[in-house]
Amino acid sequence: MSLMEINNLKKVYTTRFGGNQVVALSNVTFSIEVGEYVAIMGESGSGKTTLLNILASLDKPTSGEILLNGNSFSSIKDGKLSAFRRDHLGFVFQDFNLLDNFNLQDNIFLPLVLAGTPYREMEKRLKPIAKKLEIEDLLHKFPYEVSGGQKQRAAVARALITNPELILADEPTGALDSKSTDHLLSLFSEINNEGQTVLMVTHSVKAASHAKRVLFIKDGEVFHQIYKGSMTNELMYQKITDTLTLLATGGKRID
Amino acid sequence: MTKSFYLKLAFSNVRKNARLFAPYILMNIGIITMFYIMHAISVNEGLNTMPGSDSLKFMLSFGTYVIAIFSAIFMFYTNSFLIKRRKKEIGLYNILGMGKRHIGIMLLLESMIIAVICIGVGLISGMVLSKLMYLILLKILSFSVTMGFTVSISSITLTILFFSSVFFVTLIYNLGHIHLSNPIQLLKGSAVGEKEPKTKWIMTLLGLVALGAGYFLALTVEEPLQALLVFFVAVILVMIGTYFLFIAGSIAALKLLKKNKAFYYKANHFTSISGMIYRMKQNAVGLANICILSTAVLVTLSTTVSLYIGMEDVLNIQFPSDVYIRNYDAEANDIKVINDKVDLLAEKNNIKITDRYGFKYMYISTLKSDHQLKYDIQYDVSSKRVDITFVTASDYEQLSGENLTLDPDQIVLFTNSENYGFDQIKLEGQTLNIVNELDHFGGITKASQPLNTEYYFIVKDEKTMINLVETATKKSDRLIDYQLTFNNSGNNADLSRFNQELMSDLTSNISSTSVRSKLLAKSDFFSVYGGFFFIGIFLGALFLMATVMIIYYKQISEGYDDKIRFEIMQKVGMSMTEIKRTIKTQIVMVFFLPLLFAIIHIAFAFNVITKLLFLFSFTNIPLFIVCTFATILAFGLIYLLVYFLTARAYYRIVK
Repeated sequence: MSLMEINNLKKVYTTRFGGNQVVALSNVTFSIEVGEYVAIMGESGSGKTTLLNILASLDKPTSGEILLNGNSFSSIKDGKLSAFRRDHLGFVFQDFNLLDNFNLQDNIFLPLVLAGTPYREMEKRLKPIAKKLEIEDLLHKFPYEVSGGQKQRAAVARALITNPELILADEPTGALDSKSTDHLLSLFSEINNEGQTVLMVTHSVKAASHAKRVLFIKDGEVFHQIYKGSMTNELMYQKITDTLTLLATGGKRID
Repeated sequence: MTKSFYLKLAFSNVRKNARLFAPYILMNIGIITMFYIMHAISVNEGLNTMPGSDSLKFMLSFGTYVIAIFSAIFMFYTNSFLIKRRKKEIGLYNILGMGKRHIGIMLLLESMIIAVICIGVGLISGMVLSKLMYLILLKILSFSVTMGFTVSISSITLTILFFSSVFFVTLIYNLGHIHLSNPIQLLKGSAVGEKEPKTKWIMTLLGLVALGAGYFLALTVEEPLQALLVFFVAVILVMIGTYFLFIAGSIAALKLLKKNKAFYYKANHFTSISGMIYRMKQNAVGLANICILSTAVLVTLSTTVSLYIGMEDVLNIQFPSDVYIRNYDAEANDIKVINDKVDLLAEKNNIKITDRYGFKYMYISTLKSDHQLKYDIQYDVSSKRVDITFVTASDYEQLSGENLTLDPDQIVLFTNSENYGFDQIKLEGQTLNIVNELDHFGGITKASQPLNTEYYFIVKDEKTMINLVETATKKSDRLIDYQLTFNNSGNNADLSRFNQELMSDLTSNISSTSVRSKLLAKSDFFSVYGGFFFIGIFLGALFLMATVMIIYYKQISEGYDDKIRFEIMQKVGMSMTEIKRTIKTQIVMVFFLPLLFAIIHIAFAFNVITKLLFLFSFTNIPLFIVCTFATILAFGLIYLLVYFLTARAYYRIVK
């Protein structure tokens, strides 16, 4: 069953004084199935971030539509958008986006508090997640007291705690060292194996090689995709590198 | 790099940072204008022709010093905000290859540009407004004098010198700040991770105790004369309490709220409380400053306005009669000369004299407990103090027209407050039987709350009087004095001439004679209270300006800090309306907390201030209440206006 359908998405930015039009996304169509782990790759300026912002309902497309569980984003009223984001989507960002005036526990609670969840319920939900992410001992520390990897795991916990249908990750390993990157990627695989749908935008071939499917975007379109199937991470890594080389050297579409 | 390049850079820096610099420049212009006006008026030749000009000039030059001190403090304070905000910009210049020396030149030029603008515009507006202010002052003093437009060279020189040096000192501070930090520190600027503040229970407790003690003192003081000392102690205690409570108490209270999980983990409390903890950590001192400044503005304005409006009452209380003539060591001849002179001058000036009361008297100060009066040589300031004036029965007969025969141990009593109410009173062991209590003595009537308690003892004759006093004081050199009081009427010019001639003639021709005239005192009153009023308004305006400035810069600097925070919250699922609501709770709390505390301070200070006003013979409490409310209202409105303006600036930044 498909969780999210993206149909003919187009995004055109108009410069302020009505002059030039910049096409960020020209025609993007794909879908995400329940339980999938999708990575989106592309060079800088290929439209990755625009796509993610639109999927996160932080930005609106010029045309085309997005359906989550068959419901169109455009049918949601502006006032309900933030509640929608909170209830259905979880976010992991490159620069963690933790609030430094909250300790990790309160940072993780933030979306639940906004949704009006009682404290008991929040605590009950936090326990297993904190255990899985190995941040139980850090919950009362403040963001500036822990390492980048620990911060990112707290951010993952914040994304997971609302039981979202889809996790959107924007370069989640971008600010991490290689050890923390490995840890985080194996975590993503683990939660995905437990049924969580994940969509990740990344530059990193290593990060993408953990995904079950990789989409390549070029010039605002989905240019190519690779399914991992039964490939090992190493083989997947090789395949992605080949595709990227092809993309960079201006090769034709290979299906 | 050429000189013109630096100049261009400095100019464009000032222009680009307009949002930061404009209020600073405006405040400086205002301060410089006020300083110039105050000094120019204090040295104005025209004031010399006015009665009581000495005390007025003293007050005005005192006002100039006060303005100078506060200006320097405010300018320095605001400047430190600016340089903190600009760290990043300066760090960037540093990284792009400008050495510390080059940055120094740039900052020097910037300071010079700002100084020239501020001092130049300040002087011009000062010159323009000083004429207006001078006229307002004369109007306040109800004194008319023809004056041309004068520009005071000495004021201009002083203003330029003083403010140039203040700018110079701030520049040195800025250079020191830049010099001490490396480019990375500069670039990071204010964005260093803030630690969550610890709860300081002891400080909170001390703050509560200090505030409580200050309030208690202010509430329980009963004696006007004690009030002065108590007031200063209470002010210091309340200031300490305010600082401690803003710094530690606010955080303690917020942490307590945070501990209450059911309360804390609610959408609108969650972000507000944790946000407030950090805001209070950074802003406690600034907010305490605002609170104390606001209190100062309110107290200064309400009291000076009350005194000025209530001046006529005060004058009537201090002068039940129009003229008081006193002669010490009165001999029969002196008494005759005084009375003849009064008649002569009155006739010459067409003055009608009424309510004329003359009597010889002796005076001692005592301390009263129950029915005992003890001689007090030190003239103690105490609620027990009773001043006794002895008058003979024959003098009383003369001034009242009633017949009175007394035995040596009998007296007729008049008290200037409530009746004594008993048959006997003891003065240093001498028992006196009270035959009668009067409800007025000559022109003196009873008052509800007199500054000093005064008893008049009417005794058999001079011998009895001397005997009583000498026994009480255990000294034999006490002198008998004479007092003559009367009211006068006539046309204004005649009255003025009569009073002045009386004063100069009597005091120069008869030894140890003093003359106090209501008419002459009135112009002194006008210059003193009018001067107070004028300076009160000036200082009020200055404090208000400083308050506004501190608030503005607080909002702006917080706006930049909060911007990032709210972006994150939006991504995590907080809607724009929710964000606006948290912002609003936070600014409203930060903004109105100082005002709220200032009003509470005023409420508790009310008792002690009314007691202090008694010292100025001001007893019209309803008037004081009205003035206080009016000042609070006016101040509150201005405060509200500033809130809306700065809140707009804040929202613009956060968005």
